[in-house]
Amino acid sequence: MHRFVIRRVLQTIPILLGISVIVFALLAAAPGDQVDLLLSGIPNITPQDVVRLKHIYGLDESVQIRYVKWLGLAVQGDLGWSRTYKEPVAHLISDRLGNTAMLACAALALALAVAVPVGIYSALHQYSALDYGAMLFTFFGVSVPVFWFGIMLIYLFGVTWHVLPPGGINSPGVAPGFPMLLDRLKYLPLPTLALGLVFMASFTRYTRSSMLEVVRQDYVRTARAKGLPQRIVVRRHALRNALIPLVTVLGVAIPGVLAGAPLTETVFSWPGVGKLLVDSTLGADYAVAQGIIMVISVMVIAANLLVDVAYVYLDPRIRYD
Amino acid sequence: MVRPLSPAAVALSRPFRLGRAPGAGANFWGLAWQRFRRHRIALAGAAVVVVLVLTALLAGLVAPYRFQDIDLGARLQPPSTAHLLGTDTIGHDVFTRLLYAGRVSLLVGFTAATAAVSVGTVIGATAGFYGGALDNALMRLTDISLALPDLPILIVLSKYLGGSVSGVVLVVSLFAWRGIARLVRGEVLKLRGLDFTEAARALGATDARILFRHLVPNALAPVIVAATLIVGQAILTEAALSFLGIGIQPPVPSWGNMLQNAQDFILSAPRLAVYPGLMIFLTVLCFNFLGDGLRDALDPRLRL
Repeated sequence: MHRFVIRRVLQTIPILLGISVIVFALLAAAPGDQVDLLLSGIPNITPQDVVRLKHIYGLDESVQIRYVKWLGLAVQGDLGWSRTYKEPVAHLISDRLGNTAMLACAALALALAVAVPVGIYSALHQYSALDYGAMLFTFFGVSVPVFWFGIMLIYLFGVTWHVLPPGGINSPGVAPGFPMLLDRLKYLPLPTLALGLVFMASFTRYTRSSMLEVVRQDYVRTARAKGLPQRIVVRRHALRNALIPLVTVLGVAIPGVLAGAPLTETVFSWPGVGKLLVDSTLGADYAVAQGIIMVISVMVIAANLLVDVAYVYLDPRIRYD
Repeated sequence: MVRPLSPAAVALSRPFRLGRAPGAGANFWGLAWQRFRRHRIALAGAAVVVVLVLTALLAGLVAPYRFQDIDLGARLQPPSTAHLLGTDTIGHDVFTRLLYAGRVSLLVGFTAATAAVSVGTVIGATAGFYGGALDNALMRLTDISLALPDLPILIVLSKYLGGSVSGVVLVVSLFAWRGIARLVRGEVLKLRGLDFTEAARALGATDARILFRHLVPNALAPVIVAATLIVGQAILTEAALSFLGIGIQPPVPSWGNMLQNAQDFILSAPRLAVYPGLMIFLTVLCFNFLGDGLRDALDPRLRL
């Protein structure tokens, strides 16, 4: 067991290195380096100054050397400097990561809260009207463009009915601390629904198919045969086993929810890393984008690792050695 | 080797099989078509996809205007007989632009799916067939790309590669091959140990012939299903990038950039935001229905 965990952790190292190469190459391939972008507004600069600046930024060195230096700093938490925000990238990200995490957790919690009961009901009443309705809903959920759904939510709830604020994260002038948190609750529902919808749909499907599979197992038949009431069979025997695969799905959803955040955050002006990514990319501030992608990748890998390990604990039938 | 028949060809050939019970002696594709026909919602999806493809191909004939036509005197007009769905913020005919935008979206969707299937099949088939170090290297590569957050990377890439239709196609298909590669590898691994592969080898067939003549065609069914779903996903991604302003650039219309343009006029003309979004939704939904129907038809063991 411990050997499995250690091996699994060691396996992530080459993957992380591979990702860092790709992410670095992404920036190195961008047209115009930091100095070119910096100088685009200054017409009367001499070629000597350009050479000097490129040397200061270390841009006169080979790509390999720059990669190693960048990696060395990134490991220590230094992700570079943002030329549009005039702040360290790591700072920009850590300021906004909490907002994104809050939105992502709320979205996943909402998705689970709806999907698990609906999925179980669907599976227990297969081919009923509600089952068909739920399955149709899952198709809608995975097909709807999140940015359009968000705009429609804003139009209906924010603009037409004035029930909820159309965007942002807090009312202006709210005292920090508890009042701010309370105020946040008004701003959270719409982006949560927008971001959570697609996960609601996929979780519903997984719960349903997992439950359908478990209900056909021998031990469920045995439980029924010894005369246990439906309620107990469902709760004690079927449900517990049916929910295990959902852990994997949740693990896959964490990267998904982080990757989907840019669209939702942009539509709702939610100041998270997703909106920061879009804004900095539009402003050709690639160091920020690079840092965000690297941070998200690390979180994705950590989530995958956690899921693999959790799985072994949750399902004693699985043995890795 | 049974030559794959298109469902349409199977349907056409049916009246000539008189005196046989339906399904009796039918080949794989014939049976698949019979299963597919029973899937009403997938049939409806297929019908809508056909209509969308036809209107996209014939946009020049169907559309009342040219997509770049501007009538500055008639901006933000409500729907009328002259402008079926009204005009947008600079006086484009919305109906016309929706048709042409569909052409762009479907082009991106189909091209990306084709690219994904080609690249994914080659990588997956090679990895599965040769195994060993090559397989390890290719699958590590796939693992790494699976751990990358796709949309954030696509956003950065399309900032400098996007703009043109070909650039967007390139960006959108960049991550689409991963699923196909895994799928094909799995199928090839399963098939390469079977007797017919041995037989082909004994007859002196080359590796390439065994792979692309015997193994890949047998792995076709799940690939077709996955490709259908990729078309929908690619359309969704293109729309997202165009919506952020880094995909298809105006004056070329795309449902995504129409939506971006409409966002600022949500108060005065909400319908401008409704139409393009509905078109994306409808198109992606139909491809997903179609994919589901194909899954049931082509791979009856797999049910989700």
